[in-house]
Amino acid sequence: MTTLEVRGLTKDFSIRSGLRHSRFRAVDNVSFTLAPGRTVALVGESGSGKSTVARMIARLEKPTAGGITATGPDGRRVADRAYRDHVQMVFQDPFASLNPFHTVEHHLARPLKLHGRARGKAEVAQKVEQLLERVNLTPAADIAQRRPHELSGGMRQRVAIARALAPGAQVVIADEPVSMLDVSIRLGVLNLLARLQREDDLAVLYITHDLATARHFSDDILVMYRGRVVERGPADEVILNPRHPYTRILAAAAPNPDARDRARLTEALGIEPAGGSTLPGDDPGCTFRDRCPMAFEACTRMPEDFEVGYDHYAKCWLRPGADSADRAGRPAAEGTATA
Amino acid sequence: MTNINPPAETAGAAPDTPAGTTGVSPAPRRPGSGGWRSLVPRWSPKLGIGLGLVGAIALFGILGPLLTGDPDTIRNISMTPPGGEFWLGTTQTGQDVLALLAHSTRGSLQIGLLVGVLATLLSAVFGVIGGYAGGAVDEGFSLFSNVMLVIPGLPLVIVIAGFVPAEQRGWWTIAVVLAITGWAASARVLRAQTLSLRNRDYVAAAKVAGEKPWRIVSVEILPNLLPLMASQFVFAVILAILSEAGLSFLGLGASGSDTLGTMLYYAQNGFALQREAWWWFGPPGLIIALFGCGLSLINFSIDEIINPKLRTVPAASRRTRGGGSAGGRKTRTAAARSVTGREDSGRDAVLTVENLNVAYRGEKPTHAVKDVSLTLGRGEILGLAGESGCGKTTLAYAINRLHRPPAEVTSGSVVFHDRDGSDLDLLALGKEELRAFRWSKLSMVFQGAMNALNPVISIRAQLEDVLTTHRPGMSAQARRERCAEVLRLVGVDPRRLDSFPHELSGGMRQRVMIAMALLLDPQVMIMDEPTTALDVVVQRGILREILRFRDELGFAVVFITHDLPLLLELSDRIAVMRDGEVVEYATADEIHHDPKHPYTRRLLDSFPSLTGERGAFIRTGESSARERTGTGTGTGTETIVKEAGSR
Repeated sequence: MTTLEVRGLTKDFSIRSGLRHSRFRAVDNVSFTLAPGRTVALVGESGSGKSTVARMIARLEKPTAGGITATGPDGRRVADRAYRDHVQMVFQDPFASLNPFHTVEHHLARPLKLHGRARGKAEVAQKVEQLLERVNLTPAADIAQRRPHELSGGMRQRVAIARALAPGAQVVIADEPVSMLDVSIRLGVLNLLARLQREDDLAVLYITHDLATARHFSDDILVMYRGRVVERGPADEVILNPRHPYTRILAAAAPNPDARDRARLTEALGIEPAGGSTLPGDDPGCTFRDRCPMAFEACTRMPEDFEVGYDHYAKCWLRPGADSADRAGRPAAEGTATA
Repeated sequence: MTNINPPAETAGAAPDTPAGTTGVSPAPRRPGSGGWRSLVPRWSPKLGIGLGLVGAIALFGILGPLLTGDPDTIRNISMTPPGGEFWLGTTQTGQDVLALLAHSTRGSLQIGLLVGVLATLLSAVFGVIGGYAGGAVDEGFSLFSNVMLVIPGLPLVIVIAGFVPAEQRGWWTIAVVLAITGWAASARVLRAQTLSLRNRDYVAAAKVAGEKPWRIVSVEILPNLLPLMASQFVFAVILAILSEAGLSFLGLGASGSDTLGTMLYYAQNGFALQREAWWWFGPPGLIIALFGCGLSLINFSIDEIINPKLRTVPAASRRTRGGGSAGGRKTRTAAARSVTGREDSGRDAVLTVENLNVAYRGEKPTHAVKDVSLTLGRGEILGLAGESGCGKTTLAYAINRLHRPPAEVTSGSVVFHDRDGSDLDLLALGKEELRAFRWSKLSMVFQGAMNALNPVISIRAQLEDVLTTHRPGMSAQARRERCAEVLRLVGVDPRRLDSFPHELSGGMRQRVMIAMALLLDPQVMIMDEPTTALDVVVQRGILREILRFRDELGFAVVFITHDLPLLLELSDRIAVMRDGEVVEYATADEIHHDPKHPYTRRLLDSFPSLTGERGAFIRTGESSARERTGTGTGTGTETIVKEAGSR
């Protein structure tokens, strides 16, 4: 039973081009809590900073500011030395995250030994088989002796999940765990993660760009845009009743055969589709305003998190009950993006 | 970097990997990689000859000195030609050349081996540790190896060798000197490789697992560097033997020990050349040459492990299309066309594929496309859905004749029905006709095409290049206008024409690629996963454009993707492919509401609906889609998990 708390997480990367030195804020003041048995989805387009958050939690990158605290089952803060017993990560690409040189057994035996979960050859071998059986890789004894290239993508990702569980981790960071897999096996891997979560009461951070699986797989959703969490709330609320214009656009853009309707495709989303930001790096305002169809003067100042529903927050000036002065410059087009 | 500059180079963009359909192909990326087995070079004649040469010379160096007499015995039979008692004759002082050669070979091999080991160790220490540690350590180590690299090797060797008094100059002194001057280049190569390995996910995963740095270097990184290090070792050995021979020949070699170099030195001093005593200088020279040659051949084989692309694909048999009578087929298909010149939905057909079969020849022949028949109507969007390895990309390439050996069309026909009413049998087109046909009538947007723009040429130049190739008569003014026009079509500001690819975002580059495909006003456009690398908002924008051109310009699109929901929205008809076969071919509506094939249903079930019943898929394992269509293929989780597990 480990809880992970992230407070004000910020990461700056320095970019050197020639003699100029500039800083790029990849993650800006991100806070959330991972609780046992619950899944938080971190959703955003490529480059939004979601993987950087994962890498900071996995201690592969040092945060520029902010803190990550794991609290153990005894209610005390987990010491740095023991951090990796509690927090583990599943990487995006199962073709890259397993060393082609080593057998499956090596990948599982090492964390078992490192974290003192098994001693002696027999015990290690037995634990490795148990882990493989838990992720439905049978016959375990046979799989354990194979090398990554002898396994399919789905099988590799199962090995990677087993590796994350090997140290007995209670917090699992899954960085796009299925985006590199074939579509027909994605749900199998997600279901597996969900089952393991139920069995072990794991706290899961599910990082993805796929809104549909985020909604079905998680309890809460955080939507990231250019390093900031622009909307957060219960999964259904965020997807079915998005309040931030960016989330609305994301939800409207996702392919949805149930709403097969050519008009939807030809209707302009009203945003500049180009990806690069046209705003200067130190812009004090809302980072979405250069693409936002509803931007108005207030957007030159950074909005705070406004509560827009029960436990549902959006970083946008367009909030219910905002005073009329704020809304003055807003085009009367709220309905178009909700459609 | 592949630069697709259509149409001249489109042929060069055929898929590198057989059956490779998407970037997420589950096929092993490096066939046969992994573990010690991957470190063993594949057997080839080159390797055989190399090992044979090196083995024979090494054996001679090891056993020769035991079998021949003392090379230093001086006899009063000077300069006897080979024959009789002395197989290789004698020297000026009556020494047995064969015995001398055996001892010298041993001496040279010793030096080569020692230098190889020392240089490899030094380069590993400086390259791998520097590369992994990064920061100041890396800076320091690289600076040091760079300094070592720019010091001219041979003069330094001469200086150092000259500095050590001749009587103390044993073979190992020379070896150490050669090692010190010879490691820097390989250190740089190893550093570069380590820098790339350091960022691999499995190294990150080992860190997350809590491995110590030294273990990451030695257990996770080093084994993957071994082929490279082996190659560097072999190279160091060759270089050492050659340099030693050179040094000794200059009289700076080891004193008191025999090497091939000293043997040549004495031959030179004994005027072997002037006296035409070829048996004295010939054999050592030949051994040096053969040994170097053998090691080089071994190195080729090691290179193939490092870079599997170097492997020569056994040339596929050139009997491309069975029967070879393309003319016969032409008449046959033309006749068939006249009957079924229209496809079911009432549109005129623009492309007809009939019973197409494509196979990859090679060690393990694969039938990548099996008996595929499709009809593309004018102005139709045909979706081609399937997972990696199902043959959808191979099919697309075969339609455009972009497949390269070992891929081969074994039977079937692809007929293009031109706007003017004439039919073209694509499989029978000659090289020139094909070149004229591609891009002007049927264009293609490749997977990851946005990375296919040449980074050092402006967008304008790349677009105009297509026009100059295909429309040589076009004036510069007309060309410029056409380029601006297509850019406007895809929603990119024509002012961007003078930009370079890196100045555009991924979505814009993809749009430019689509603009390029539109340039010649084609009747069919094949798009292979054009939006996979883009995020949903950008993808939506591009899909919108595709639909708009379809309506405005009336061309037909073959849209290839694994994303079935997208196709359900976008396309008129959908062909679902699996293992090279089209398992279901129906209108998008039918596929959506009444999928017939279990695989189609499974694919549909793989995409949870964004707005549908919450959690129906994941948490309970019950699939609403399955329930709705009433298939009894088992319930959710277990089936999916089992199927996935057995893959």
